[in-house]
Amino acid sequence: MWSELRALREDVDYGTPPRDGEAVTLTVDGVPVTVAAGSSVMLAAAAAGRPVVKLCATDMLEAFGSCRVCLVEIEGRRGFPASCTTPVEPGMAVRTDTPRLAELRAGVMELYLSDFPAEDVLGGWSELHEVIATTGVSSHRYGPGENHLAAPVDDSNPYFLFDPAKCIVCSRCVRACEEVQGTFALTIQGRGFESKVVASQGEPFLDSECVSCGACVQACPTQSLVEKSLFEGGYRSADPAQA
Amino acid sequence: MPIPRKPDGSVTTTCAYCGVGCGFRAETLEGRVVRMIPWKEGKANHGHSCVKGRFAFDYYLHPDRVRAPMIRASIHDPWREVSWDEAITHAAAELQRIQAAHGRGSVGAVSSSRCTNEEIFLMQKFARVALRNNNIDNCSRICHSPTQFGLSATLGAGAASQHFDSILQADVILVVGANPTEGHPVFGSMMKRRIREGARLIVIDPRRTETVDSPHCRADVHLALRPGTNVLVLDSIAHVVVCEKLYHEAFIRERCHWHEFEQWMALVGDARYSPEAVGPEAGLDPEDIRRAARLYAAGPRSTIYYGLGVTEHSQGSTGVMCLGNLALACGMLGREGVGVNPLRGQGNVQGGSCLGSWPHMFSGYRFVTDDAVRASFEHDWGLSLDPEPGLRLPNMFDAALAGSFKGMYIQGEDPVQSDPNQNHIMAAMANMECVIVQDLFLTETAKFAHVFLPGSSSLEKNGTFTNAERRVSMVRKVAQPLAGLEDWQITVRMINAMGYPLHYDHPSQVLDEIARLSPAYQGMSFALIERLGSVQWPCNPEAPQGTEVLHTKAFPRGRANFMLTGYVATTERADERYPLLLTTGRILSQYNVGTQTRRTGNVAWCGEDLLEIHQADAHTRGIGEGDWVSVSSRYGATRLRARISERVSPGVVYTTFHFAQTKANAITSDLSDWATNCPEYKVTAVEVARVQAPVVTEPAVREPAEAPA
Repeated sequence: MWSELRALREDVDYGTPPRDGEAVTLTVDGVPVTVAAGSSVMLAAAAAGRPVVKLCATDMLEAFGSCRVCLVEIEGRRGFPASCTTPVEPGMAVRTDTPRLAELRAGVMELYLSDFPAEDVLGGWSELHEVIATTGVSSHRYGPGENHLAAPVDDSNPYFLFDPAKCIVCSRCVRACEEVQGTFALTIQGRGFESKVVASQGEPFLDSECVSCGACVQACPTQSLVEKSLFEGGYRSADPAQA
Repeated sequence: MPIPRKPDGSVTTTCAYCGVGCGFRAETLEGRVVRMIPWKEGKANHGHSCVKGRFAFDYYLHPDRVRAPMIRASIHDPWREVSWDEAITHAAAELQRIQAAHGRGSVGAVSSSRCTNEEIFLMQKFARVALRNNNIDNCSRICHSPTQFGLSATLGAGAASQHFDSILQADVILVVGANPTEGHPVFGSMMKRRIREGARLIVIDPRRTETVDSPHCRADVHLALRPGTNVLVLDSIAHVVVCEKLYHEAFIRERCHWHEFEQWMALVGDARYSPEAVGPEAGLDPEDIRRAARLYAAGPRSTIYYGLGVTEHSQGSTGVMCLGNLALACGMLGREGVGVNPLRGQGNVQGGSCLGSWPHMFSGYRFVTDDAVRASFEHDWGLSLDPEPGLRLPNMFDAALAGSFKGMYIQGEDPVQSDPNQNHIMAAMANMECVIVQDLFLTETAKFAHVFLPGSSSLEKNGTFTNAERRVSMVRKVAQPLAGLEDWQITVRMINAMGYPLHYDHPSQVLDEIARLSPAYQGMSFALIERLGSVQWPCNPEAPQGTEVLHTKAFPRGRANFMLTGYVATTERADERYPLLLTTGRILSQYNVGTQTRRTGNVAWCGEDLLEIHQADAHTRGIGEGDWVSVSSRYGATRLRARISERVSPGVVYTTFHFAQTKANAITSDLSDWATNCPEYKVTAVEVARVQAPVVTEPAVREPAEAPA
């Protein structure tokens, strides 16, 4: 009932909301850990001090399972389940760090980086940059192709801007608007390569139903949504001359 | 530069805007605050924020901030910058001169809910030990004074019975005269979360607010009553509870006085409060009143949240008592998911109420006329105190106009813009000999000041705030005060200059003094708040870590009391000359009188106050969207632009008071609550007419002379 809000901690992101429930004990990379029933494997891993990399997950939002970097191995199970959407079970033995997992994550990260501004891959401090540092994947093997790098920046809001070039369409902003704020101003429009974050009916943020609470900015793992106050002298492609 | 600059410092503090009191990490870069990140461990906000707390902080470096003390002989003279010593010596000498000539009671002080607990406590101490009278009031006089009176009378404690999280266990939520999604947005989000989980919602409000109808959140019953009929409608709901025997007899017998209940039952059970009788007068369908009553009484956990739409009426205190009675009758107190809870407008309204900034009460709601209580303060402060209650804020203005009240020390308040019947207030202000204003900006009130003491923003000082759920949280200094002194230091200097020696090294020592002298704060200390993050009063040996839910076992007086709440209509009525009823409120992006938010990017959403008017009323007056209109009442007139809106019913118009040039309070009346003098902002009979656009309009915000440093 309350743990989802009250058990949140400033210095740790469990990845999925803490739960109230009976104690369940499992191991993560051999480390025994006890969490509430209904918790995710991702939360158990974080509690065990063996955090799994993640992009679409954060503990203020329900699990979504879209980014595919939080894969783990579970003894006795086939495949590589996403740790955010897999509930814990008693006696489960979870592995977060195997060569096969590293290989799979690297493949996913390469795909993300293939449509991300190359000049921003190094030197940043977003959650994506933390995953880049943890996985050691900072480049990709793909040649130039279709991308979103020239998509126009929406800087209509006085306080934050949205740069679609950095968006990985993880839906964290959309879910924060729904689950945390309750305004339902954002959505993902389109499918596949065409999918993009839009406010209301594809309007600029300022003209949309957005109430500028900042939950989406806080939720964004790539600083695609980011505070303007962090930029001195304007933002790259907010200036049409440079777009 | 595509990669954002990374902040290099972070201080956890408490938002100074509304009564939710969200925790934030103020992140700095090279000493300047660059962003506010909602604190995940903040017990009021759990990592959430709104546009004001999250983004609207730049006012603290706005070029309009006054950076040096100033004095002038007359309000028609230009200001002259002086040293702190000169300003304070001059101010104290003036107050002493006036007292010598016109008597001890000819001066007073006003504290603000935008200041910290420590600053508010020091302001009332200033009045009592330096002015040696009880002429001290605070701005909750004009917002939630009926809450303190009405809830004390019924439940025994003038404060919210619950903590915010309690709403997550409510089955039925009754919102009266409040619009949490705009006025208390972070709590509003929590309420919506619970409604999405299936809780039922009843809203009593003349406007069809966002709380009434928004995505995945719709009121089951909306009673869009005529402004001024709160008590009538609440009595009618009680009528249904009584007549349909929906009350909780066991709870009443155990926790209340049965004979009082019977008296109350006889009153509200009278046929004049039947929904069929009330409906036409309040503009409601009787069946909706019955549905609301049945829904609330059925619970099993029903909770009440209310705002200034209840208190700011000539029967404001009665309205609050109605809510207390209703919760008692249905047994909706003393556990999770129930309760009666005021939503406080400003960050520290609860603290303002708690800490003795009242002409008749010391901290902890104890009367100055009580010899034993007074003796405890006299012992601690080492001098005798005035046993006579002082002047209330409206009385101070009345006395100023009459000529017997000559000087005022106002901290962080802007009564010229915020108080009702503005013309009356301005005449009173102009009639005083020494007005001392301590604020961030040259406010409307400062136009009438003789001494200006530049205050510190909440980012520039240490102290505590008490939010709407009685939660005491830490305000921490992120930046140096622009003018050099924190507000509490200024007041200490004023007290010293008046001849009373006093010294504190740190505001924590003021909180220690508050704890020593106020039962509800007995166990509070900076150390405890540091350790627990925040603490809800009462905090004492029985509840060393504070108290989340009040009245669980007993009420403060043992049993609770039913108060008789007969309806007496306000004398402010619509007639042929003033056929419409004006009610006032606030919007999400602006805060109160706007001195802070008008100086931020929030003007992108709201650059002016608008008059909401229903299509039917607009049509008959030839008013179109965006037209300039005059709004005139029996007290004054003003001019603003119209917005055609279905949010208001025909016969009702609505505006906000965020912008000084709107002069919304030029039209409000000087009628006030019968018990506490809380002004009747929510009902003014007006007429609206289309007018020519003004030739020159003042810009909403003065253009910065230079970029903020």
